[in-house]
Amino acid sequence: MKTLPLLKGSLRTLAQHKVRSFFVTLGCLVGVAALTWVVAIGRGAERKILTTVRQNVGASAIIVASGGGLMAGGARTDAGRLTADEVQAIADALPAVEIWEPLQTLDEAPVRRGEATALTRVVGSSERGERAWGRGVTRGEWFDAPAVARSARVALIGETTARELFGAEDPVGAEILVGNVPLRVVGVLEPFGTDAHGMDRDAELVVPISTLMRRIMNVDSLAGAKLLVADPDRVEETAVEVRRMLRERHALPPERADDFHLITPAQIERMVGRARAVLFVFLPLVAAVALLAGGAVAASLMLLSVAERRGEIGLRRAVGARARDIALQIVLETAAMTLLGGAAGAALGCAGALAIAGKFGLDVAAPWGAALLGLALSTAIGVAAGAIPARRAAALHPVEALR
Amino acid sequence: MIELEKVDKAYARPGAAPVEALRDVSLGIGRGELIAIVGASGSGKSTLLNVLGLLDVPTRGAYRLDGADVSALDPEAQARLRNERIGFVFQAFRLLPRASALENVELPLLYSDRPRTNGLARAALEGVGLADRVHHRPAELSGGQQQRVAIARALVNGPDLLLADEPTGNLDLRSALEILAIFQRLQADGRTIVVVTHDAAVAAHCGRIARLEVGRIVSDAPVSAPRDAAAALRDLPLDIAAQPAQASQAGREAP
Repeated sequence: MKTLPLLKGSLRTLAQHKVRSFFVTLGCLVGVAALTWVVAIGRGAERKILTTVRQNVGASAIIVASGGGLMAGGARTDAGRLTADEVQAIADALPAVEIWEPLQTLDEAPVRRGEATALTRVVGSSERGERAWGRGVTRGEWFDAPAVARSARVALIGETTARELFGAEDPVGAEILVGNVPLRVVGVLEPFGTDAHGMDRDAELVVPISTLMRRIMNVDSLAGAKLLVADPDRVEETAVEVRRMLRERHALPPERADDFHLITPAQIERMVGRARAVLFVFLPLVAAVALLAGGAVAASLMLLSVAERRGEIGLRRAVGARARDIALQIVLETAAMTLLGGAAGAALGCAGALAIAGKFGLDVAAPWGAALLGLALSTAIGVAAGAIPARRAAALHPVEALR
Repeated sequence: MIELEKVDKAYARPGAAPVEALRDVSLGIGRGELIAIVGASGSGKSTLLNVLGLLDVPTRGAYRLDGADVSALDPEAQARLRNERIGFVFQAFRLLPRASALENVELPLLYSDRPRTNGLARAALEGVGLADRVHHRPAELSGGQQQRVAIARALVNGPDLLLADEPTGNLDLRSALEILAIFQRLQADGRTIVVVTHDAAVAAHCGRIARLEVGRIVSDAPVSAPRDAAAALRDLPLDIAAQPAQASQAGREAP
């Protein structure tokens, strides 16, 4: 028995029954195309999310949020409080922490300048904000430590808010009202654009953290803090230390959960990984359904083909084919078709992914793994789908088949 | 070479008495014989041929090929014997319609364990006078040519037993004589050939005729002077309609 010529014969049979082969091929084509497409797009989207998150948090930052909830839930007001003093103490005790920056934001505040009004975010910051966020001013100057210490009535203004309140005028030196608190504009923030949440980061005011807490919001605790670690390799161990010290300061007994929440780069990657698990489990399921449907079509069409080719099967038996040679031939034919469909699907999926990637600015690499998996799956499905018709063909009695 | 001893073959029918296709058939065929099995349809000719060709096993009795009982062999061993020692020729040719003559002839080699099969198919086609038709498809060949392709296929693995079921049933006289001439030549080379036919004229070219009636052999006798197919072919007048080119040439050369 020679498998190679047998395979050649199988391929010729497929070429001779083009319509039938096409439909058998189709299911696998759709399935594998969906699989490679989804994996390619998923990878690209994941990379995009990771890059924007890293831009915001940074590869070497630890975010401490007050309250024990997950990041998505936000801080709970009834939970433990986080004060600037204790964050300062922790930062002083840990030499790995280069600088720290308090986090407190008023999401929407009415801002007036004469007759003009605007709704903006008001962000509290320390004198180190320029370094901590990597965002400086294009005009004027960032407020200094004494200004923060005395809760100075000063503000840095984003370009969108500046345009809304001042039009083309220079806002530096002008007076604005946040609620009924008068502030003097001392600088214009570097333009940032839209962040990962789709928010315009130029529609905001940055004021000293003490000014925001005491004069505008009237609160005495922080929503959180951002600690920058000089050596990115020491971020995770520093986070462990921060957690230990915070639990100690909050006098939490071992059985109680944290009343704060730490977010580290590793944790963000885990979160993205969870999103990826959804993408990589459920969407391939869709592809699997298409592949299974393809397998069912392949099996039924091959059954039909076996019935149609009884005479040929009888002849092959007469010239010396064993039952298993016949079975092998049918399986080879089915698998060749589904493999062909899988290959076409992989190519189509890659091409589709690249086309979409170009449109949405995703960084998409050819999903070799997914393409290979698709090929293996479509071959396996061909073998499985060929098994039933193959068994039926092999069970045909030669005399019956020749009749 | 072939020995059938008290062979019965019955086919079970659901809800009815079994059909007894062969009853108490004993038959010996020597190497190099060209034997015709004749009888009316339903007399068991084809069943006898299927048993001889190891496509079917007897219900009772023994089938010995060169002294070895082959009716008890497992299906794999029987398939190997069919491949190596037996060639089949059918009334309806049974060529794969989309394969060339050469590919059709190569089919048995696909299932052969022989290490080298290069050139065998082409040589077999040359042996039946079709060296110039190797790449033709069956539809591009005449009936006689198709049957010659089928004979080449039966012979490609060098079997010593050739089994033919109404091999000339679908052919005109000239093509039938060509096939019979090939059989007689193969017999002269020492091959054993069994031809099943209902046509007395075909049987008259064989060295021996066995007659079946309702599954039993009722007569079995040598033919005193078998007809010579090659000679009959030479004496056959040229068919003017079928051979226009040769006919017009012959007409011009005639005085």
